[in-house]
Amino acid sequence: MSITSYNGSALIAMVGKDCFAIASDRRLGVNFQTIACDFQRIFKIHDTLYIGLSGLATDVQTMHQRLQFRHKLYQLREERNMRPETFASLVSAILYEKRFGPYFCEPIIAGLNEDGTPFICTTDLIGAKQLSKDFVVSGTASESLYGACESMYKPDLGPDELFEVISQALLSSVDRDCISGWGGIVHVV
Amino acid sequence: MVGLDFTALESPTLHSGFNDLCIADHGTSPSFSVPPVADFDGFQKAAVQMVKPAKGTTTLAFVFKHGVIVAADSRASMGNYISSQSVKKILEINPYLLGTMAGGAADCQFWQRNLGTRCRLHELANKRRISVTGASKLLANTLYSYRGMGLSMGTMIAGWDETGPGLYYVDSEGGRVKGTRFSVGSGSTYAYGVLDTGFNWDMSVDEAVELARRAIYHATFRDGASGGVVSVYHVGPGGWKKMSGDDVGELHYSYYPVQEAPAEAEMGEA
Repeated sequence: MSITSYNGSALIAMVGKDCFAIASDRRLGVNFQTIACDFQRIFKIHDTLYIGLSGLATDVQTMHQRLQFRHKLYQLREERNMRPETFASLVSAILYEKRFGPYFCEPIIAGLNEDGTPFICTTDLIGAKQLSKDFVVSGTASESLYGACESMYKPDLGPDELFEVISQALLSSVDRDCISGWGGIVHVV
Repeated sequence: MVGLDFTALESPTLHSGFNDLCIADHGTSPSFSVPPVADFDGFQKAAVQMVKPAKGTTTLAFVFKHGVIVAADSRASMGNYISSQSVKKILEINPYLLGTMAGGAADCQFWQRNLGTRCRLHELANKRRISVTGASKLLANTLYSYRGMGLSMGTMIAGWDETGPGLYYVDSEGGRVKGTRFSVGSGSTYAYGVLDTGFNWDMSVDEAVELARRAIYHATFRDGASGGVVSVYHVGPGGWKKMSGDDVGELHYSYYPVQEAPAEAEMGEA
């Protein structure tokens, strides 16, 4: 099996009206065996900025620790929180540093700009940023997720409706993937 | 086709003309045409790799005081993709014989249907039902003659005949083993754990069905390649009967109801 499908993961982020939602599955596995059903893939950087990391679990945890470190340092120096676009560039730079021995994870960044407009983007494992206006997906179930999001997504959804849509998209996609699932967690901001 | 000599097993018939018409396709093992390629071995190797025998499933069967219990999940996976959650993995060969499916779905379906045909012919020719021993031997001999050609099957033949309950494990390597407890597939180790712990020869039918259901459920929990619906069959003196078919997700919540979880410690708050 490929290294990115060793642990199994599924992540979505969606844009709503002045809000965003980010959701992931909770399974941690080793090939087909399930090890845990409460694995954390979405991490809060600050109140209006979240990052979700899919792929190899050890790289998920390491990337989170490195990014948290860099953000805290930024907070100390600049005395304010990072903007989502800046954070996305930071993620991209950190991933490209390891261009010839990459972290096997594909992050999704979701946040609110200072004026309240939602921001989402994803990068590949070596840092190529991809901004999106509606939704981004990542993980072993990504093809299923694209299909589900494409059909279920509508622009300008309120927080409650956005929660419903993102949950249904996640659940129906992980039902078609052996190595992700076993629960889900959704953050709506 | 490399083959054993099956002419001894052929039932003698009065009407050879009839034989040619109908039984020609069924009485003998079907012969398949061979691809006319330059590198036959290389082609076969590539073909076997394509089919990729994965045996992603969980099936189990055991004998106890009141007969045989056969249980299986219903998920079909192609690598990581779940191609179906509603595959019938317990195949009804005839009203008193059951076969399970593990490995290549097409292989299992075809050869077990073929087995059903030959069992019926045996009945017609000998005026009595075939024994579980005989049925499993027919299948095993057929599979042995295709050994090395990439068939993938790990099947259990369960039934009730004059000698009582019978259970055999037959696989595509040509193996055939008689036993009282088997589990086959990628989730088999998890099922064995539950099955071996809870087994009691004197169980009632309901207890045995529940044990089988739990064993498959636990296997579907741990094994990513198993899931869907747990089907449990019971084979008694009068033949088989389907006892239950429960969705694994619903079983999870009935066995382990949701409790209020304490707030999970998140990595974000350092």
